[in-house]
Amino acid sequence: MSALASGPVPDAFEARTNATFEALMWALSRPGTVQDLPSPDVAGIAEALLDRECRVFCDNPLLAGEIASFGAALVPMALADYCFISLEDARGLAQLVHVPVGSDLYPDAGATLIAAARFGTGAKLRLTGPGIETSAEFSVDGLAAELWSLRAAHCRYPAGFDLFLICGAQVIGLPRSTQIEVL
Amino acid sequence: MTLATLTKPWAAFSYGFLDASAKREMRRKMLKAIAVPGCQMPYASREVPMARGWGTGGLQVTLTLLKPSSSVKVIDQGADDSVNAASIRSFLSKVSGAAETWDTQAATLIQSRHRIPEERLRADQVLVLQVPNPEPLRPVEPNMSVARQMHADADYGRLWLILYEQMVRSGRIMEGAAYPALVNRRHVMTPSPIPRWDVPKLHMAEHLTFLSAGREKRLYAVPPFTQVEPLVFSDVPYQVEDHGALRCHRSGVTGYYMNEIPQDNGGSVFELSDSNLGIKAIRRAEGAQVEIGPTWYENGKMPQ
Amino acid sequence: MAYVATRGGERAIAQSERLYRAELGQIDAARVDTLRKTLPMLIDRVMGEASLYEPDLAALALAQAGGDLYEAVLLLRAWRTTQPRLSIAEPVLQDRLFTHRRISAAFKDIPGGQILGPSLDYAHRLLATDVLRGRPFTPAPVDPAPTPAPACQPSLAAWQKAHGLVADPAPVEVAPDDIPDLTREPLLFPAKRAHTLQSLARADTGGMLALGYSAMRGYGSAHPTVNELRLAEAEVRVRHPRGTVFSAGRVKVSQAEVTSKGKSGLLELGFCATLGWNEVKVISGATLDLNARGAAKGSPVEEEFFLYHTEPVEASGFCIHFKLPHYVTFQSSLDALRGAKAAPAPTKPEQVPA
Repeated sequence: MSALASGPVPDAFEARTNATFEALMWALSRPGTVQDLPSPDVAGIAEALLDRECRVFCDNPLLAGEIASFGAALVPMALADYCFISLEDARGLAQLVHVPVGSDLYPDAGATLIAAARFGTGAKLRLTGPGIETSAEFSVDGLAAELWSLRAAHCRYPAGFDLFLICGAQVIGLPRSTQIEVL
Repeated sequence: MTLATLTKPWAAFSYGFLDASAKREMRRKMLKAIAVPGCQMPYASREVPMARGWGTGGLQVTLTLLKPSSSVKVIDQGADDSVNAASIRSFLSKVSGAAETWDTQAATLIQSRHRIPEERLRADQVLVLQVPNPEPLRPVEPNMSVARQMHADADYGRLWLILYEQMVRSGRIMEGAAYPALVNRRHVMTPSPIPRWDVPKLHMAEHLTFLSAGREKRLYAVPPFTQVEPLVFSDVPYQVEDHGALRCHRSGVTGYYMNEIPQDNGGSVFELSDSNLGIKAIRRAEGAQVEIGPTWYENGKMPQ
Repeated sequence: MAYVATRGGERAIAQSERLYRAELGQIDAARVDTLRKTLPMLIDRVMGEASLYEPDLAALALAQAGGDLYEAVLLLRAWRTTQPRLSIAEPVLQDRLFTHRRISAAFKDIPGGQILGPSLDYAHRLLATDVLRGRPFTPAPVDPAPTPAPACQPSLAAWQKAHGLVADPAPVEVAPDDIPDLTREPLLFPAKRAHTLQSLARADTGGMLALGYSAMRGYGSAHPTVNELRLAEAEVRVRHPRGTVFSAGRVKVSQAEVTSKGKSGLLELGFCATLGWNEVKVISGATLDLNARGAAKGSPVEEEFFLYHTEPVEASGFCIHFKLPHYVTFQSSLDALRGAKAAPAPTKPEQVPA
C-alpha cells in the first residue's frame, strides 16, 4: 500500500471535473435551482462526462472539435447520447425532433441535452416533480417558445431526455421527471 | 508522437483510486439515475480492492464524489466502528485525503450498509447505500432480463400477490428489511436491506440518496423531495418494527431502532442501532457539550 | 459481540490481517520466482480468470494470497482496473497461432494433423512418493520428432464450412477498435457476442466445469464433440503511434470448439478461448456456448444463468459477504415473525432483566 502513502492531492483536471459534475448533479437533483460551474466554458461539461465510449451531436463546429479531442464520436442527433445544441430558434427545434428518448425498457438510452440560455428574464416556467418540494418558478430567455410543447410531446416518462441550460458559468437542470408549465 | 504522449505520466493510483474514465462513466450513470428516480441504471462496475458484496457499489459512487474537503462517515448496521465500515472509511480517506467522521451532522458524504442514520439528513448531504441485490422483483422473477421487461411494463402484480398471500397466511405483511417501495409513482425499487423503520426517511427527504450494487452492476437514486411509498394495501397501514418504546440499556434513549442482545438469563437487552447517536447521548448525559440534530422519529413515531 | 465492540473495529481488522500474513511469512522475489516457474498451469488459470496476462504479477498475487485462488484473482483484477489502456491489439486468427497442441475428436486425422503436444492425458496418475524420501524426480528427456510439426495449423471448422456442413451465423462486422469491452460497459441480455466470449474467457474454471458438466450429463440438449482443441501462443500485434504494426510479444492461449448436429440439420459450433492453457475451462465453456441457443430461461445452459454465475470475483465475493454482520435485517425479520405469532410485543423497557 506504499503507493497510497504519498498523500493524495487532486490535480487541476480532477478538481475541475469533480466540481463540474457536482454542479450538474445538484442541478438535476433540484430542478430550477441555479448551480455554479467552475468555468463558463461549456467544453468543461464534455471534459467531465465524455470519452470514447460516448456519441455526441454538436451543432457548433468549434466546440465539436474540442469534444472530439476527448475521444467522443461525433454523430447525427438521432444517434447521440449527448447533444450540445442551440435551441434558440426553429433550426435547433428541427433537430430536436430526432433526439433519442430511450424506451420504457432502457430509459437510460434517452439523451442529455446541453443548451445555452439566459436566466432571470423571458418566459416564466413553473416546475413540479422530484427534487421540488412543492413547485419552483424561474424565468428563462433565449429558447424557442415551442421547445416546451415539443418536450412534453417527446418525454413519455420514463422515456425522455434531460436538459441542462447554461448561462455563463451557471447551470439549471431539467430532468425528464420534471413537469413544466409555461406561465 | 510516441507511446508516452498517448498516456498520462505513470502514477500508481489515480486520485480517489478510480481512473478518469471510470469516474466519467459513474458520473454519466449517476446523472441518469437522478433523472429517472428509482430506475436501475446498468454500469460497468470496475473492480476495486475489496471483495464484491462488501460495498464495492457504494464505494464506486463515494469515490466519484470525494474531494479533499469532503467529510466522510461510513456505517455498517448503524455502527461506525463495525469492522467493514472501519475498513471502507480508512480506504476512502487514504485515497482521497478526505476527513473521516463518525458524526452524522459533520459528514458531507455518508456511505451505509443496512441503515439510515436517525438524525435527519440535510440538503447538502449525500447518502450512499450499499445494495446487495438491486432487483425488488428477484423473489418473483430471478431472471434479470425478464424482470427488466416487468419494470418497463410497470408490471408489479406478482409482487403485490406475495404481499397479499402473506396477509392471508400470517395476518400481516411478513417482509422484513428491504421493503419494496414505489418511487415517483412509477418504479418499484428495493431501498436496500434497511429496516422498515428507515424507508419513510427516504420519502420527500431533503438529501440526495444513491443506491449502488457493485456486484450486480446497477445503480439508482432517490433525489430530494421524491415520493417513496412502501407497497401497502389501502386498508392495511405500513408497519415499521415495533421499536418505538424500546430503551437503550447503554444510553437510556428511547424511540429509535434497536439491536436486541440476548442475555444469559433468557431475556434481552436493547441498544441503539445508530451507534453514534448512542455515543452522543451518553456524552451529553455526562455533561459534555454535544449537539444532537433533529431526528426523523419523534417520541418513537414518524410525524406524518 | 466482540467483533463490533465499541471503537474496536480499526484495531481488530489490523490484527486479524497481521495474523493471516504472519502465517505466510516474508514474501520475497525468490518465492514469487519459484511459484512462477514451478506452477505454470496454476499461473495460467489465475491469469485467465483475472483477464490479465502477466506471469510475474500472477505469481505475486498467489504468494500474497497464500494460494487462495479467488483472493489472487481479485488482487489482479483490482490492479488491472487501475491500468491505462494504451492500445488495442489486432485480432488473433486461428491459423496464425503458434500451436503446441491441437487435437480433434471429430475425425481420425485432420488437415494439418493431430498434434498431441504436452499432455498428462495418457499418463498414469501415480504420486512420486520417492521425492519425499529424498530421491528427486527427474523427468525423462523428450525425443524430438524427426520432422517438427508446422508452427501454424489451419482451422478445422474452415474445412467443414467449405463443405457446407456448418450452420455459420453471419459475422458481425465491427472495427477492431470498436469491439465492445465488458470491463467498460455493463453486461446486458441478450448479450453482445463479444461480451459473451469475454465473460467466458474470464470465468471461474470450477464454476464453468460444474455448469458445463451439467450440460454434458443431459441438462443441455446438445452433446458436444470436440471439433478442435488448441494450446498455443498468440502474437500480440499492436500499432505504434507512427503507424507501424509490431509484435509486443506472445501470450499463451487455449481455445476449444465443440460441435453437434443442430435442428437445422447442420453442424453448430460452440466456442471458448482464454488466456493461458486451461483445457477443462475452454471445453466446458464451449459446451455451454453450444447449448445456449434457444435455452429456456433459468436453465444452467441459458446465457444469463451461466455467465452471471461463473464470474469468479462476483460469486466468491458474495459468498464470503455472508460473514458480515446482518443483525439489523435479522432484527427486522424477527419483528415480523413475532408480530405474526401474535406474541407479546418486544419486551418493554421496564421488564428488561438487567
